[in-house]
Amino acid sequence: MTLQEQIRANRLRSGIVVFGFVLLLVVLAGIVGYVLDVSLGIAALIFAVLYGLIAIVRSRSMIARLTHAEPLGPDELRPLRRLLENVSIGAGLPVTPELRVVDDAAPNAFAAGLRPERSYVGVTTGLLRTMPKRELEAVLAHEVAHVRNRDTYLMTMATVFAGVIAVIADIGFRSLAYGGRSRKAGVLVVVLAVIGFVLAPYAALLLRMSLSRRREYLADAGAAEILNDPEAMALALRRLELDSTSIRYADASTAHLWVESPTDRVESERPGVLAISGLFNTHPPLGARIEALEQAGGFRLPERLPADPPFAAEMGMPAGSASRAFGSIMGEP
Amino acid sequence: MLWLWVLVGVLALLVVFLVWGYNRLVRLRNEADTGWANIDVQLQRRADLIPNLVEAVRGYAAHERGVFEEVTKARVALRDAGSPGAAAEANDVLSAALGRLFAVAEAYPDLQASENFLRLQEDLTDTEDKISAARRYYNATVMRFNTAIQSIPWLLVARPLGFRDKEFFSAEGDVSAPEVSFSTAT
Repeated sequence: MTLQEQIRANRLRSGIVVFGFVLLLVVLAGIVGYVLDVSLGIAALIFAVLYGLIAIVRSRSMIARLTHAEPLGPDELRPLRRLLENVSIGAGLPVTPELRVVDDAAPNAFAAGLRPERSYVGVTTGLLRTMPKRELEAVLAHEVAHVRNRDTYLMTMATVFAGVIAVIADIGFRSLAYGGRSRKAGVLVVVLAVIGFVLAPYAALLLRMSLSRRREYLADAGAAEILNDPEAMALALRRLELDSTSIRYADASTAHLWVESPTDRVESERPGVLAISGLFNTHPPLGARIEALEQAGGFRLPERLPADPPFAAEMGMPAGSASRAFGSIMGEP
Repeated sequence: MLWLWVLVGVLALLVVFLVWGYNRLVRLRNEADTGWANIDVQLQRRADLIPNLVEAVRGYAAHERGVFEEVTKARVALRDAGSPGAAAEANDVLSAALGRLFAVAEAYPDLQASENFLRLQEDLTDTEDKISAARRYYNATVMRFNTAIQSIPWLLVARPLGFRDKEFFSAEGDVSAPEVSFSTAT
């Protein structure tokens, strides 16, 4: 598959996702309208559409807020910006995505934005302090591959729709619980409706997660291709695997954006459905991703990681506690 | 009458297939052209940095004329290079000449310390990194395009339709590189 074909396949997939979610939405609203009240069904639908539109328009800044990704000034972290530029050129992107930094000790990175021209890549200060240049470049290439493959678009749409469906199902469920049912609806219908309301958000979540897991393998492969160095990506993943810092702003709603799942620990502590299995994981296990790279590239990772200095040191980024050092980069006290 | 419909159906499928294939070749060619444009931008940027660099060094080491001439000549050769292979070759020549220029600059601590020189050196390194990134992308697109027009059945139609193999941006693998001639050196 060439790049363009991959992008087109992803666009088609995005189309199917959007269509599937719209269908689910209409069915849900239909159930609400049939079991409860027609006007409530219509109101729910209108509300859902408005909510969805606002969420899509505001997704860029919303994600920035949820992840605490700060934009940089023109002269800050120039070596890092150059690295991102080079990776974007290697990927054939027309425009280099904006660079943002998350002040967090956990090494991680993400990409966001609906269109490649307006997207941005966020990296944590922890990533800069952990990864040597070669591996950091691979992580950036992974994110740029997400942008190039239009994964960021696909996942934003999926996230927004999953949210909308959860809201509608919630409305239906609550109205049923507190308001009672209307007219002709029999007991069986009501029971089915309840089941539908309960399951719909999980169906949406499941779809979103399964989509995002496949995209991770593709982005890893894309990064290997962009740099012509599959080993660098595998090394970076191994380093992430060995690291046990978890991200402070872990949030289930943005989990699928990161290079490594930031919420594993959060979710395993949560009782109930989410803890059951890997079904709801946004990312495949790092070990499986490393193995896929090893197979594709025909190499085995060495036992020990190279002891190159992290890029932060190479850039002359001040050491010390993450937030204080970062504050000085950002020109804040 | 049935066979007629079958024939029409097969022909229609063939047309669809041809249109799809042609569009794919066009897409691949455009990708490669974009890839080349990316390299060209960086080569241009590199060439634009050189006069400033030469001036900066000349200010400290005016007598090293041979090196300046070499760099300037290599820059002109790069600008005039007509094909990706020739450009890659010229780019390598320029790199070698710049290497000698920087070796000369080593001998002048004042120059080494000057803000302007450091900035230029940094920009040049950056441009070189970007050229190699753009080269990776371009060569990958060329590979895809060449593979596409060399595989059956497109092999048969690609040439008549005006699709020609594209050259890689690399100096080593280039068989058609001109022989280096010493006769012009007077």
